[in-house]
Order: sequence, then structure tokens, then C-alpha cells
Amino acid sequence: MRIRPSSIRVRLTLWYTLILACIILVFSISVYLFVKSRLGQQLNQQLDKEFEAIAGEVSEEPGDVRDLEPESSAKLFQLVQGKNVFFQTGPYQKAELPEILSVPTVKYRTFQSASGKRFRLITGPTKNGFVLTVAQDEEALWGSLRTLFMILALALPSALVLAALGGSIMAVRLLKPVASMAHQAEKINAENLSERLPVQNPEDEFGKLATVFNHTLTRLQNAFERLQRFTADASHELRTPLTALQSVGEVALQEDLDAGAYRDRIGSMLEETARLTRLVDSLLLLTRADRGELLVSRKDHDLTRLVEKAVEDMRIMAEEKSQRLTTNLQRGARGSVDEDTLRRALVNVLDNAIKYTPQGGTISVGLKEGQNKIIIEVIDTGPGIAAEHREKIFDRFYRVEKDRSREIGGAGLGLAIAKWAVEANGGRIELDSWENHGSTFRIVLPK
Amino acid sequence: MRILVIEDEKKVAQALKKGLESEHYDVEVAFSGEEGFFLLHSQKFDLVILDLMLPGRDGLEILTALRSKQDKTPVLILTAKDAVEDRVVGLDAGADDYMIKPFAFPELLARLRALLRRGIDGQVLKLKLADLEMDVVKHTITRSGRPISLTVKEFEIIEYLLRNHGQVVTREMLAKDVWEETQRATPLNNVIDVHIARLRKKIDEPFVKKLLHTVRGVGFILTERTL
Repeated sequence: MRIRPSSIRVRLTLWYTLILACIILVFSISVYLFVKSRLGQQLNQQLDKEFEAIAGEVSEEPGDVRDLEPESSAKLFQLVQGKNVFFQTGPYQKAELPEILSVPTVKYRTFQSASGKRFRLITGPTKNGFVLTVAQDEEALWGSLRTLFMILALALPSALVLAALGGSIMAVRLLKPVASMAHQAEKINAENLSERLPVQNPEDEFGKLATVFNHTLTRLQNAFERLQRFTADASHELRTPLTALQSVGEVALQEDLDAGAYRDRIGSMLEETARLTRLVDSLLLLTRADRGELLVSRKDHDLTRLVEKAVEDMRIMAEEKSQRLTTNLQRGARGSVDEDTLRRALVNVLDNAIKYTPQGGTISVGLKEGQNKIIIEVIDTGPGIAAEHREKIFDRFYRVEKDRSREIGGAGLGLAIAKWAVEANGGRIELDSWENHGSTFRIVLPK
Repeated sequence: MRILVIEDEKKVAQALKKGLESEHYDVEVAFSGEEGFFLLHSQKFDLVILDLMLPGRDGLEILTALRSKQDKTPVLILTAKDAVEDRVVGLDAGADDYMIKPFAFPELLARLRALLRRGIDGQVLKLKLADLEMDVVKHTITRSGRPISLTVKEFEIIEYLLRNHGQVVTREMLAKDVWEETQRATPLNNVIDVHIARLRKKIDEPFVKKLLHTVRGVGFILTERTL
């Protein structure tokens, strides 16, 4: 199982340190190898020089090499004549260097003595027929390399420790906005949904995150407020018939009435019950629709017939108000819809138009086929809807007249249900309205 | 006619018992699933009104047990569960009808009558109440021998009222059976009221004896009795 450090700070620091360790390691190895090769070259050059010097002296004074200049005797070399060692200096012997009798193929060789000391050798012929081998102690070279190694080995961990510390501090500083955002976000709940996260720099990643979070909060706040308003409206709408029920019942019990009058009171109470039932049914319908529990089964239908039928059902209401209800329907328009829900949308929109169009007004219903859509329009000559109400007209319980007059108003769910019903059929409902000149409700359905 | 009501809500059960008894049915009430199950096993009923959410034994369980022993007693489910799936499950389990609470009592009576006379009487093609006569085939209606001209919808409404004469017909029943509206809470109620008002003008206004009455808060009734 992989171990995953929980905090981003730790992960960042670990990665940072690991990468730095790799870089330093590669760098150190390169430096070490470079220094080693440069020191080796220097040693070789030194050997060459010494070889030249001793070979020169041996050629000038071929007789007795023992009479060579005194400092030469402190050096490490041997001379071979024929197949025999002709001369070895004291240090050469002491270091137990090998007797090299002929010129080898490799010019510079490293020889490790029995005591573990390393020497570098060069062997070559002199002008007067000797084979000269000169040696140099490699101790200085290895000493330098050891020191370098020590420096590097000490520097690497301390650099890493410093880097880890610095990285950690940097990460804390960088992630500080996240910590403060989390702290702020934790404090936001239903009571203070209006609070927002501070955005320090809207351009950087954290700023963007905070902005997105704030947008989400705004949407959440709107939804929450809508829900609160909805609950308040629903309670109000429920309380009205309940109040009527209670007071009619209580008053009827106090009075001494004949059977007919009691029957009338009970009838009045039943009317309120019916109103309550309708309201609860509508609310339930919308709640189900919200939760996606209402499945519509869309089939191919003659939309012209459907609209015609809805208009004929509602015509009688228009007649009661001496309104003209005219139709201009393109024949044979077909679409894939759920008959019941779409009829409901049409009836609700027509009902709304008839309710708000004054006595003697005109309502015209049109249907035309577009490229890949079908447009159903209900145009009334009512008072129109002021701009500030247009957006909310499809909201639940929304009513333009704030007095909530129940005589015409109903509960204010009709258009909300119509909107759901149209959308459930894959369409959309639009409103055009001109104050004092009427409104057009447009249902656009896909073909 | 013996009816068994299996309903745990005491108030509803008592109201059903009283209401059905005033319609001259013989009513037995069971307040729990267990009790209902026992009664069904020990006695013979002509019809069962069954709640679905019951303590002890679930309504569906009782229904399934009843049908598994080839008992064809008509069962009407009366429940607050109104999702389409619940309805399908209930009908699939062998229920003959399904009604959702809150319900209108006249509608319940109409459905009970329909269930009880199932397979007994055929389609009546001539309907009559007092001097109001209808020929369903010829599509004519007369009162005191005088023909009355009606719109298609008005004809359908009066036919429905005639078939249920003497019984209260609710707006929901008309919406469902005449307008074929499957959903509840539609704006059809006002439409129905206007149709009834017009119908009354044609059928009753010119005559002394009124036949079409409104029962406030409930619906309409076509009857010779004076209310």
C-alpha cells in the first residue's frame, strides 16, 4: 500500500526535497569525477616531467647513476639494463615497487603496494638503452579526493535539510489562503449564507477557487431563500382555507340553525376542503416533478387536435366573459409529447389568459410549425405584465396582485405547473408582454 | 350487500361505515390488517375496501393472500399513496379499483356501485327521470315531450347524471369521466360549473319541477326529490 501523506504541505515539501536531492547528487558525482580526472592528468604530467629529467640525467651520465644529483636519489625510479635491474633508488625499494623489465603497452599505470599505498608508474626507454620506470605516490591525489568527498557528503544532507525547511515554510505561506478559506467556509451555514469568502487576488488559482466557491454560495443562498419563500407562501395558502374551515365550523356550532342551514355550513366547509385538496395535489405534483418522480411517456400526437381540444374545453369560460377566443392553427402538426401533461399546460395557460383578460376582450391561439419546432402562442388583450414580474411569473405562488385575491387568483401555481409540464415535454415556455397591451405566452416544443 | 372496510384510521373508518350504512349496505370494519385478514377468512363479503398502509399486515399482503386462494371478491384500494407506481402495483396485485385519499364520498359510492353491478346489467340505451327522457342512440333528449337542444358536452354531462340519478356526482367524477382528465387539481372545476349552469337553464328553467340540483361543497344531483 502506498503511503499518502495527508497534508499538501508535507507532500509539496517531500517532492521538493526529493527533486533537490536528485539534482545535488548528480551535481556532486559530476564534480567528483571531474576533479578526479583533472588531478589524475596533473599527476601524469608531473610523471612525464620527472621521466624527462631523470632520462636526461641518465643519458648524460651513463656511467654511474649512483652519482646522480642527490635530490634524484630521494625519488622513486629504477633503471633496467637488458633483463636485469641496474639500479633502484632507496624509496623505490622501500615502497616495494615492481621490477619492470620491459616497456609495457600502457603508459600510466597504478600500482598498489603490499602496504596498500598506491603509486602511478611510467616506464619508457632512455636514449642510452635503459628501461626507466618512474613512480609517483598517488597519496596527495586521493587525499584531495577524500576531502572533496567529505565536503560533498556533508553539504548534501545539510542542503536538503535547509531546502526541506524552506520548502515547508514556502508551502505554508502559499497554502495559507486555502487554510483561511476553509476556516471561513466552515463558519458559513444556513444562518449566514450571505457571507462570502475573501478574494485576495482574483487572477490567481486561489482567487479563482474562492470566486467559484462564492458563486456556488450565491446559488445556494438563492435556492435557500426560494425555499423559505415557498414554505412561507405554502403555509399562507394552506392557512387561508383552514381558517375558513375553522371559523365556519365554530360559528355553526354556536348558532341554533335548522337542518338546511347546517347543511349549507357543512357545504361551505367542504368547499374549503376541496380547495385544500387541490392545493395539496398541486404542491405534491410540483414536488414530485422536482424530484424527477413524475415520468411522462411521450408519444407521437396530433398537436393541432390537442390544442383544439384544450381550446374547446376552455371556450365556455371565455364565453362567460363575452371574450372572443379565436384560433389560427396550422393543420396536422405532430410532435412527441405526453398528452396529459401538455394538455394541462395548455389549459393552465388558457385559464390564465381568460382570467386576466377583461370582459369583451380577445384571446387568440396560434399554432405554427417551424424548422424543427412547433410554436403554440396564446395572445391575450389583458393588462399585460410589468417587466419586474415577468421573470417571476412562472414561480410558485407568485402573483402580480399582491392582495392575493382568491376570487380570480387561485393559488398561483397554474403557470408554475404549466412551465413544468412544457419542460417535461422537452419544450420551453416564454412570455412577451406589453403593459396595458396584453401578453403572449409562447410554448415552443421540439418536433 | 356486505362490505368489509379495512382501515386503521378510526375517524375515516367510522365515517365510511356510517356513510355506507345510510346507503343501505351492511358494513363490517376492521381496524388492523390482522383483523381484516381474519374476517376475510371467516366470513363472506360482496366487496372489500382496503387501506394499503395498515398496522400488522400490509394491505397488499392481504390482497395477495386473498387472490392466491382464488377469491374473486371485488377489492377497492383506498389509500393516500398516489404515485403512479403504487397504483400499478395495487392493480397488478389484483385490486379492482384504486382511489386516492382524500376522496369524495359520492365518487366512492359510484365506484362501489360500478364494482357491484359488474357483469350484471348491460348498457342501458334509454334513460329516463320523471319527464326527462334520453335516447342515447339517437342522441336526443326531451322534457315533457319537448325536444331540448344541447351541445355535445352538455349531452355527455346529462347522460352521466341520468345514469347516476338520485346520487351525488362530484366535479372530480365529471372531470374524470366526461372530460377524461386523469390528473387532479386542474382548472376544470370552473368549466364544469359553467356547463351545469347552462344545462340547468335548458332543462329546468322553463319547468316548474326542478331536477338538477347543486349540493354545496360536494357536487350535483339529478333527482325528483326536492332538496
